[in-house]
Amino acid sequence: MTAISRRLTGARGSRQGMWMLPLLIALAIALWLSLETAQFLNGENLLNLVPQAMPLVITAVGQMFVILLGGLDLSVGSMISFTTAVLALGGPAWVLIPAVFVLAALVGFSNGFIITRFNVHPIIATLSTQYILLGITRVLRPVSGGTVPDIVISAVAGSILGVPMPVFWGIFTLAVAWKLLYGLRFGLHLFAIGGGVASGVEDAAHNFGIADRRNIVLAYVICACFAALAGIFLAGRIVSGDPNVGLLFELDAITAVAIGGTQLSGGIGSLHGTVIGALVMALLANGMNLTNVSPFIQTTIKGAILLLVVALQSRKKMGL
Amino acid sequence: MAAALANPVMRRLLRVPPAYYVFAVLLLVLWIARPNMLNLNIMGIFVRQIVPLGILVLGQLLVMRVRSIDLSGGGVILLINYIISSGVFPGASMAFFIVLALAIGLAVGFFNGLMVGVRRVSAVIVTLAVGIVLVGLVQYLSSGKPPGDVPSMFADIYNTKLGPAPTPVIFWVAVSAALSLFLSRTVFGRFVTSVGENVQAAHFSGVPVARTVVLAHTLAGLFVGIAALVQTASIAVGSVRVGLDLPILAVAATILGGVVFGRGEGGVWGPFFGVLSFALLFVVMTTFGIDEPGKLIAQGLIILLAAIFYGIRQRSG
Repeated sequence: MTAISRRLTGARGSRQGMWMLPLLIALAIALWLSLETAQFLNGENLLNLVPQAMPLVITAVGQMFVILLGGLDLSVGSMISFTTAVLALGGPAWVLIPAVFVLAALVGFSNGFIITRFNVHPIIATLSTQYILLGITRVLRPVSGGTVPDIVISAVAGSILGVPMPVFWGIFTLAVAWKLLYGLRFGLHLFAIGGGVASGVEDAAHNFGIADRRNIVLAYVICACFAALAGIFLAGRIVSGDPNVGLLFELDAITAVAIGGTQLSGGIGSLHGTVIGALVMALLANGMNLTNVSPFIQTTIKGAILLLVVALQSRKKMGL
Repeated sequence: MAAALANPVMRRLLRVPPAYYVFAVLLLVLWIARPNMLNLNIMGIFVRQIVPLGILVLGQLLVMRVRSIDLSGGGVILLINYIISSGVFPGASMAFFIVLALAIGLAVGFFNGLMVGVRRVSAVIVTLAVGIVLVGLVQYLSSGKPPGDVPSMFADIYNTKLGPAPTPVIFWVAVSAALSLFLSRTVFGRFVTSVGENVQAAHFSGVPVARTVVLAHTLAGLFVGIAALVQTASIAVGSVRVGLDLPILAVAATILGGVVFGRGEGGVWGPFFGVLSFALLFVVMTTFGIDEPGKLIAQGLIILLAAIFYGIRQRSG
């Protein structure tokens, strides 16, 4: 019995965090939905689940990199809205799409630079970025409208050999994230930096010769670029620019990461856990829509889940 | 730059919270651009509008001095506004609403405090989550439509004047002075300072760290309740959007006023001038025709620059 519970909650000292329990929760929600509602197992609904979940999966994976090193990026929601606004500016796709990633990298770089060089708390730095980006987005596109390049739309809506495109987006995201986290020294360094922060020794990784500032900046750049990727995906789905599409997205992403067993204090977490967390959130949203839960109460429920998940995680540091 | 920062005159100047500089610059800009705006009556009206923010800032500075933050104020203000304006308690007296508002504020603040101080959860996430839980709840209860009107007694009190100054402004100054005295004269004030300086050192010196954090959050909740009452009185109708941007403005004004996480050298009056700076900033931006997106950018930039200002100084000193 103890062996099972230890297996479920993650072995003590495991770097992966607990991810099996969320997997069971996801399966339980799926089971409940298939019993409770007739529409859930409907082929159309299941086909819709992937594109519904994809923006959250992409954003959460990006957010995970930052959370692993003990930071937090609150600007991803604005980044998503900003990306859709830029894509809807009108112009050739070969200019707009690279431009989006360059801008995202710049935003991520400035986040990381301000945090590491000017000694600003990540939450404050990214909170201000969130507002600045939101302001710029509202200047570019006060209300939703405009059209995004056709290639973006077909890259989201089309299918290859009968497999819908969003699946390929998912595979691409996971492949890139897997390489970054488990295939390069960078990933190992993230765990080292975050582990130090979580145990209250901020410069532990630095003292072991890890270039911590460079890696932190890189993590924020990666997070912003994944948010931009999610923004492109969403722009393809809604076919226009929308200044409010990313509203509160950062909270959903943080919730997904936290559900997946990644510790918000840093150093512990896993890619598969994050994906499972995002799937839990997506299944929940799908289920609440199918059972006609008011969208306002959905916000409340999501907030309560976030509250519950972070309250269950223990940490040493107090305050922010 | 390091040499310039080490210069004693520079160091002395850097010790003054940026709010005072910003306030002076904005006053100068306004004086050059629109000299006729600078009279007591017009300024009184502008300052009166900012009083809810000013009271919210008093709570914010308290929690920021113990290295925490409170972003749940928007949700609480919305909830209290909804309760007063929707007529869920028909015929209730004003005293009842005031007690209810303060009780809601205290309860939410106490909950935040328990989560942050005892459970040690990240304050940003807890208070953001509490905020959106309350916002979602109010929007559900009101089905996204503005509720009704606020009892006219609120507006009647809000519109009075004591001599040349509007009553809300006098009230704000009085509460600020009370908090200033409270923080400098009581043991709790010393606890707040020591927890902010160094949590571990405070713990080993026998300061009840968790209790101080819980109490700071609870008091902040009380200030949110007061701010909600003033805000409700000022708009005089129910709304499903009121106060949502206030918490972030409160953080900006507090940082601008020289109270950064754990460092309280701006006292109560630094953030007070931070709020006044924002009042002036909005006047200046409106006169130059800059609208809502520009204000968002300005808020973000002010938080960022003030935080960088303290970040650099902390490293050099």
